[in-house]
Amino acid sequence: MQYVVVGLGGQGILFSSKVLGHVALSRNSHVMGSEVHGMAQRGGSVVSHFKIGEYASPLVRVGDADLLLAFDQNEGFRNLHFLRPGGHALINIHEPQATENEHLQRFIQERKIHLHTIPGYDILRQHMGGRFLFLNVLLLGAMGGAKVSDITSEELRGAIEALSPEKFRKVNLDVLELGRAFFGS
Amino acid sequence: MGKRAILLGNEAIARGIVEAGCEVAVAYPGTPSSEILPAVAKYADELNTRTAVEWCTNEKVAFEVAAAASFAGKRACAIMKQVGLNVAADALMSVAHFELEGGFLLMVADDPGPHSSQTEQDSRYFAMYAKIPCLDPSSAEEAKKMVFHAYDLSEKYHIPVMLRPTGRVDHCRQDVELGEVLPLERPVNFKKDIRRWVCLPAHVRLNHPKLNDKNAAIREDFEKDFGAYNYEVPATKEPKLGIIAGGVSFAVIMDLLKTLGREDVAVLKIGTPVPLPVKMVQDFMAKHEKVLVLEETYPVIEMQLPDRTKLLGRWNGVVPSAGELLPEVVEEILYTALGEERPLSDTSELKTALEELAVKPKPPMLCPGCPHRASFFAIRKAYPKGIYPSDIGCYTLGVNQKTVDSVICMGASVTQPSGFYLAHKVDDKDQPIIATIGDSTFFHMGLPGLVNAVYNRHAFVLAILDNSITAMTGGQPNPAVGTKLRKGDQGRTVDIRKACEGCGISLVKEVPSYDVAAGVAAVKEAWEHAKANQEPAVVIFKHPCMLLRCDQPAIPVRVDQEKCIGCKFCINFFNCPALRFDEEKKKAYVDERFCVSCGVCIQVCPHGAIVESGEEA
Repeated sequence: MQYVVVGLGGQGILFSSKVLGHVALSRNSHVMGSEVHGMAQRGGSVVSHFKIGEYASPLVRVGDADLLLAFDQNEGFRNLHFLRPGGHALINIHEPQATENEHLQRFIQERKIHLHTIPGYDILRQHMGGRFLFLNVLLLGAMGGAKVSDITSEELRGAIEALSPEKFRKVNLDVLELGRAFFGS
Repeated sequence: MGKRAILLGNEAIARGIVEAGCEVAVAYPGTPSSEILPAVAKYADELNTRTAVEWCTNEKVAFEVAAAASFAGKRACAIMKQVGLNVAADALMSVAHFELEGGFLLMVADDPGPHSSQTEQDSRYFAMYAKIPCLDPSSAEEAKKMVFHAYDLSEKYHIPVMLRPTGRVDHCRQDVELGEVLPLERPVNFKKDIRRWVCLPAHVRLNHPKLNDKNAAIREDFEKDFGAYNYEVPATKEPKLGIIAGGVSFAVIMDLLKTLGREDVAVLKIGTPVPLPVKMVQDFMAKHEKVLVLEETYPVIEMQLPDRTKLLGRWNGVVPSAGELLPEVVEEILYTALGEERPLSDTSELKTALEELAVKPKPPMLCPGCPHRASFFAIRKAYPKGIYPSDIGCYTLGVNQKTVDSVICMGASVTQPSGFYLAHKVDDKDQPIIATIGDSTFFHMGLPGLVNAVYNRHAFVLAILDNSITAMTGGQPNPAVGTKLRKGDQGRTVDIRKACEGCGISLVKEVPSYDVAAGVAAVKEAWEHAKANQEPAVVIFKHPCMLLRCDQPAIPVRVDQEKCIGCKFCINFFNCPALRFDEEKKKAYVDERFCVSCGVCIQVCPHGAIVESGEEA
């Protein structure tokens, strides 16, 4: 599996690659990922790569990703070309009408991309008093709920439990469930 | 097999440094190398070693500290980024000639791209220039192993050895095997010997030929004994192309050949590019009609080959001479080298969609609530026609506040004002010059420039943006903070104000960064003082970095839609990610997704339209 996680610096993308890594290691799989640190982290566009299996390089080639996880709608659109034909995109949407753009739709159809959208900010506003720091965990939950990779909600739960600092553990698990429930039944 | 853990490349290197018995580890932070030293401290604590772990004020200091620890018999390492090696270059060139005692690892991280640097220079060239060996890892796991070989090589030939990962290795996350600390005995024992430790010309005349001999011997070792890093991955069918690859480019080409199912390409991996095992490379080349070279970022392997007629590389433009060799770039090069058409992938629909939706890459900017934003705003408000030299750090992003006019390298914010001052002085012109530098950068290389300006009587204002941290690289302490990395280690704070006064600055003003009016007044007073007395003056803006998450009063704000006239002043000159402009209503508004309620923007709007939203507090 090859993942590309995109968003803006400060949205907690590094934590989500830690979670994916934890899941892979508990399966005894090899892991390779590439992260962004330094100036690019300061609120700018951030692209993180993550590969589970037998790979040599940490980078995902454009057109090879199985899953694009986007913390920001615009960053999600900008990086759709990373997906292989038939790949999945899970995008946090704040302006839903943009997905109706006819060229965007055509690109998605040409490549048979499965597009899953979640209004992350609305959900956090409604259930978490607008604490948008939890966006990363919400999206990981959604990833499990939407069944867009072979990583299950149970595995994600285990990883979040293991990696969360004590004082955030319970609330992180609650947010994970919020994300799961949005797609899952 | 030992326990495996998922480590960042830099943590893997750090683990290697501790396991290999390094006892003095020093560094100056810089992306992509910054995470190594804190991880050295963490593993040293966990594995209970006595390793001294310290941040130094700059890379030259770090290099020299590590070098002398090696003179005294200890395994040592100095860690830095590629431009840090420029700072340490003087010491490197000299120490390369020495007959070292303890192993000396020079850990230099390069930044092809560049992602977070002012150059994308190739430190392997520096190794060649200094005539020291260089190891170039392709993965985190390999980088860790190379640490051990680097120490062995260093002690065999008594020479510094460079380990040069690129950012993709530093910041790759990979499962890596953990080991134990080597049982080494390296008791401190500095043997006085001016032939070894004093770089007199007479000694250099003897040592330089010896250094050349060492290089010849190391090259022989690389030809024979480094099969773990230099090896051929043969083609399973009749080869159409040979590829020589080093660093992360090797990993990229291996994944690519697998994805494309190519069985007609042979690859020679080179993990020891300096000095190059030339014979091994020539033997490989003899088997192929065409040979492509993939390495980052300069043609270091390429340039060491006497005959390049068969080579496809940078010398004949097949490989681009700038930028990172990303998988899709390598794919393009591969098809060119094979003389085949690359299968087209049509992204025109996506491009049109992005244009219609006005989606663009978002450049980095100062964080919401960043104290630098307030300081820059005050500086610009005090002297809108000032010249604003600046420096390397988060505050370079002050370009967005239009308060950064020129940046060269660390410390140059204190020296450029001298040049601007003199250029105006010879034309009899008074020009307000307000330079900005961070607390860590001030100690890194700001002090010599300040002494120079006091001595020569240059009039300008130096604004020191003290956020109590080395922010850009992830929050390392520095002399102004005073804390140290290892558990139980006590540091001491060096006071910036006293340092300035000690250099002869007669006016030092301190202001809270968030108080824009006080900032404006301080900058004006400082410039008047500087002009009147023909000497530099200092303003210290103080407020902790937002990444430290210190408690501060929350002042929620909103834009009064009646009062806002849509002039965009706040957007253009304050440029906070949380202040946005509604193009339909032609009014500014606060984006609650990003606002941290610092309240500074209340002081920014010339029409008083940004107000405290009390009812929501």
